[in-house]
This record gives sequence, C-alpha cells and structure tokens, in this order.
Amino acid sequence: MTHYYRQVSKLVNDCYPNKGQLDTIIGTRHYINNHLNKELKLDFLSKVRFISKFHLLRLFKKYYGQTPKQYIIDKRIEQAKLLLQGGKTVTDTCFEVGFDTPSSFSTLFKSRVGLTPNEFRKRAIFTKSDCLAFKNFAVLNVKPK
Amino acid sequence: MKVQITSIPVQDQERALRFYTETLGFVKKVDVPLSQHGRWLTVVSKEEQTGIEILLEPAPNHFEPAKIYQKALFDAGIPYTQFSSDHVQQDYERLIKLGVEFSVKPTEMGTVKIAVFNDTCGNNIQIVEML
Repeated sequence: MTHYYRQVSKLVNDCYPNKGQLDTIIGTRHYINNHLNKELKLDFLSKVRFISKFHLLRLFKKYYGQTPKQYIIDKRIEQAKLLLQGGKTVTDTCFEVGFDTPSSFSTLFKSRVGLTPNEFRKRAIFTKSDCLAFKNFAVLNVKPK
Repeated sequence: MKVQITSIPVQDQERALRFYTETLGFVKKVDVPLSQHGRWLTVVSKEEQTGIEILLEPAPNHFEPAKIYQKALFDAGIPYTQFSSDHVQQDYERLIKLGVEFSVKPTEMGTVKIAVFNDTCGNNIQIVEML
C-alpha cells in the first residue's frame, strides 16, 4: 500500500463519514445535469431532495466547492459550447441550455469564454471546415504506391 | 493570461508518446525537434483537440533535482497530475487489459471516484470521475 493510498483512505474516513448527505448532494448534481434546460431554482432543488434550501446550499458548497448556481452556470456554458460547435444557432442554444434571454446568455458566455457565442460559433465552424479542406487536400494529394 | 499547456516530466519522450497516444488515447499535437536529446512534444485529449496541451518534457534526464522530485513522488504513490474521466471503472478495465499497472484501484472518495496508474515514464497519474 502506498503512502498516497493511506492518505486517501484517511481522508475518506475523516471528510466523508455521512453517506446520507453524500447521496443527497450527488443526487442533486445528477438532477441538475439531467434537467439543465429547465428552471433550476434553489427552492425547487431543495424540494426535490426533501431538504431545506439553506442546508442544500451549504452541503453542495461543502462537497463540490461551488454553489449550485455556480455549478449550473458552468454546466450550461459547457453544454452551450458543444451545441455551438455542432452548428446550432445562438438563440436555439440559449434556450436549449436553460438561459432566459439571448442577451443575458451572450453577456455571461463572453465573460466566461472570452468570445461572444456568435464569435465562438463562427470560429468553431471555420476550424471544422478548415480541417475538412485540409483532409480533402491530403486525400487528393496522396500518391498511390 | 490563459492556461494553454501543462507539463509532465518523462524519462523517455518516445516511449511517453506511445503510452499517451496508443494506450491512453491522446493525440499528438506538436512535435518540434529542439536538440539532439529533446523535442517540444505535446499531446491533447482526443475529444478536445483545441484544449489544453500536455507537454511531455524530458526534464528528469537533464536536471537532477527534477529526477529526484519525480522519483520521490512516484515512490510515495503520489500522482504527478490527474485527468478527468467520464467513467473511471470502464477506463480502469480498458487499461488493465492493455497491461497498465494501477496502484489505486477505482475508489470512491466522497463526491469523486479515483484510480491511480503508472504511466511507465516515471509518474503516477490519477483519473477522476465526479459522482
């Protein structure tokens, strides 16, 4: 057994003794992941897991290091990037990942990613078509042995 | 400032390239010869090829303190770095079949599941799945 494994085992016992709390918080995270396009207010999430909203907030922050709101925003931005890369429009993406308005989505996206959703989408499409053109060029220029 | 590259010290760049691409599934991104004994060699995640690059740097071969540090971490079983995994158990089973050695089998640790393997280049690497 390595020194690291002994430390991990100690941490598991010291920091995560309450299985019930863990199940509640892990269940909340799974619920968020599966309902990103829905309205996910703390009040609602706490009712889903039969827990007070302040307790949920404290536990989520304790176990995941982020508030549910921060986590939801990160997941939505991550999901939005995938949809935009796949060619979805900014408006469709906005609603599909659960943001209320395209303008608030764009502002938040820009602050997290450094590009507006439109710029990000154009760049992703350009990169994709560039790769395709390069592959076609390579295929056309391969000389048979 | 942006995070573009992180590095992992490796004892043999060619072997590291084989392990990180053929076994782990990363993709070679940049390969520039720098000297007779070293290359600027980076790999990226197959799913995120414009994402953060891992520089496979031969520091342990050229700088004694790097070699000592790497060995001390390795002997204690401490991971040099960690990668995220969608499913640690599946990755564990896939890598075991490819002959990869694990010092920590898939283990739940609160809200994550972890496992630690030997990258054959002097490092322990941890994979982490958020539960």
